[in-house]
Amino acid sequence: MSDNAKERGICELYEEDPERADYLVFGRVAENGRRGFLKGAGLATMAAAVGATIPFHRNMPAGLIPSALADETSDFKLAGKDGLTVLNDRPINAETPPHLLDDDVTPNDRHFVRNNGLVPEMAETMDASGWSLTVDGEVDNPMTLTLDDLRSRFEVVKLKLQVECGGNGRAAFNPPAKGNQWTLGAVGNAEWTGVRYADLLAAAGVKSNAIYTAHYGMDGHLSGDPEKLPISRGVPLEKAMNPYSIIAFEMNGVPIPTLNGFPVRTICPGWPGSCSQKWLRRIQVRDVVHDGPKMTGTSYRVPTYPVEAGEKVEKKDFQIIQSMPVKSLITRPQTGHEIGDGRSLQAAGHAWAGDRWVNAVDVSIDFGATWIQADLQPPPNPYSWQHWTADLSFPEKGYYEVWARATDSDGVTQPFAIAWNPKGYLNNSMHRIAVRVAA
Amino acid sequence: MRRPALAAAILLLAGGGLLVPAIAQQADEADYGGLPPGPGREEVYDTCQACHSLMIVVQQGLTRDSWEESLVWMVEEQGMPEPDEATWALILDYLAAHYGTDR
Repeated sequence: MSDNAKERGICELYEEDPERADYLVFGRVAENGRRGFLKGAGLATMAAAVGATIPFHRNMPAGLIPSALADETSDFKLAGKDGLTVLNDRPINAETPPHLLDDDVTPNDRHFVRNNGLVPEMAETMDASGWSLTVDGEVDNPMTLTLDDLRSRFEVVKLKLQVECGGNGRAAFNPPAKGNQWTLGAVGNAEWTGVRYADLLAAAGVKSNAIYTAHYGMDGHLSGDPEKLPISRGVPLEKAMNPYSIIAFEMNGVPIPTLNGFPVRTICPGWPGSCSQKWLRRIQVRDVVHDGPKMTGTSYRVPTYPVEAGEKVEKKDFQIIQSMPVKSLITRPQTGHEIGDGRSLQAAGHAWAGDRWVNAVDVSIDFGATWIQADLQPPPNPYSWQHWTADLSFPEKGYYEVWARATDSDGVTQPFAIAWNPKGYLNNSMHRIAVRVAA
Repeated sequence: MRRPALAAAILLLAGGGLLVPAIAQQADEADYGGLPPGPGREEVYDTCQACHSLMIVVQQGLTRDSWEESLVWMVEEQGMPEPDEATWALILDYLAAHYGTDR
């Protein structure tokens, strides 16, 4: 990759763990003109003291974020990503601010990243020559396939598919829920090229006792223990057999980027992103519900009944999340927008609904008292998000909030409040942005 | 030469106690991945950042029980070497005090 030299330069500054930094945290660079922080108590104190009196910051190296200052994380960039907010750098987790998700098809540099472990070396070098996929378990014909086998033996499909992290919106939970504090942007809708999961399973010959799949990736465990897997999830056989579940090898017409799962991943759209295993190396067909890391306990699970915020729920009362709920984003304008001239505005965004589709999007400019029906496009294919626009007129100058709510094909509408659950999943409450009308 | 003069002036400022405390504290916290000073900070830093960034820690706002569950999970399932009893208490106290539900 062309950024290698630059990446290494930054990593040398990354003194927290010099031996592993290059491997673990490649590609994070401070933007020009932003303040960096020096390591070493005396040096840092001195530099900070100077920074307080003169604009010295441009000469200071970056590399360590004072994470208490959440906004500071947006000053750092990941290789191949543009404008994402970095929530965590080891493992890498980064989300996209809503206004940067305005494209109908999410560009690769704007697609969120949720990693559980260490990026595999093959993905860093982007060399798939040694890659193969094993399909085994409860099948008649266990297979090992190369990338060429995938392309030549099966029909290749191209689909726009929405993938959303199960924990998107967790930051709004009160009391807080454990995990990355995603706000709104752990969702994307890229065009994926691959083969149907169902075609692969048909070729392998699924046995009649099979009920679940298990996905295994090449990412390493954070502890460095080669015996441990950071995450291994799967889906019920019927989800794997859905014609829109695919084994993908291209994202927006190019090999899948390093952080998004090069060279091959599953895409099981509309379900928690963790069902779309990155850096795929093996699919095992099972006769039991898969019990790999982050399938069990309370991972990607919610209580089987509604609970009070903060309530303790026993493990046996949790169930695995399947379809994600109906949701929408306002991607234009950016929150905080000011109308300087006139009193009208076109708002726009996307809406999606897990396994379902979206029937309507409504927009309010008066805190939900009245609603205006948005113009909603059909999806280009099932499991793509749907674009909407709404022409808004504001009666007088002042501060407004634009709210959006989508309603799915079963008549279910996004709520205003969060249905709290212990692990902070499935927050599909309405997106709200601020708009100021100057005159 | 102007640079040594500037450096001397800064040293003088620092030595004279004119350093802005907030700035110094920020630099100090940056040294520990954002962890504020307090008993247990060294232990939390050493124990947690061996495998993952402190960025995930400083995002959290959890009850003491929930922090304890996390530590047990780290030891039982994530390969964290089990700290001795005293260290365990220090770590738990620090996390509960600084990253509680009132974050």
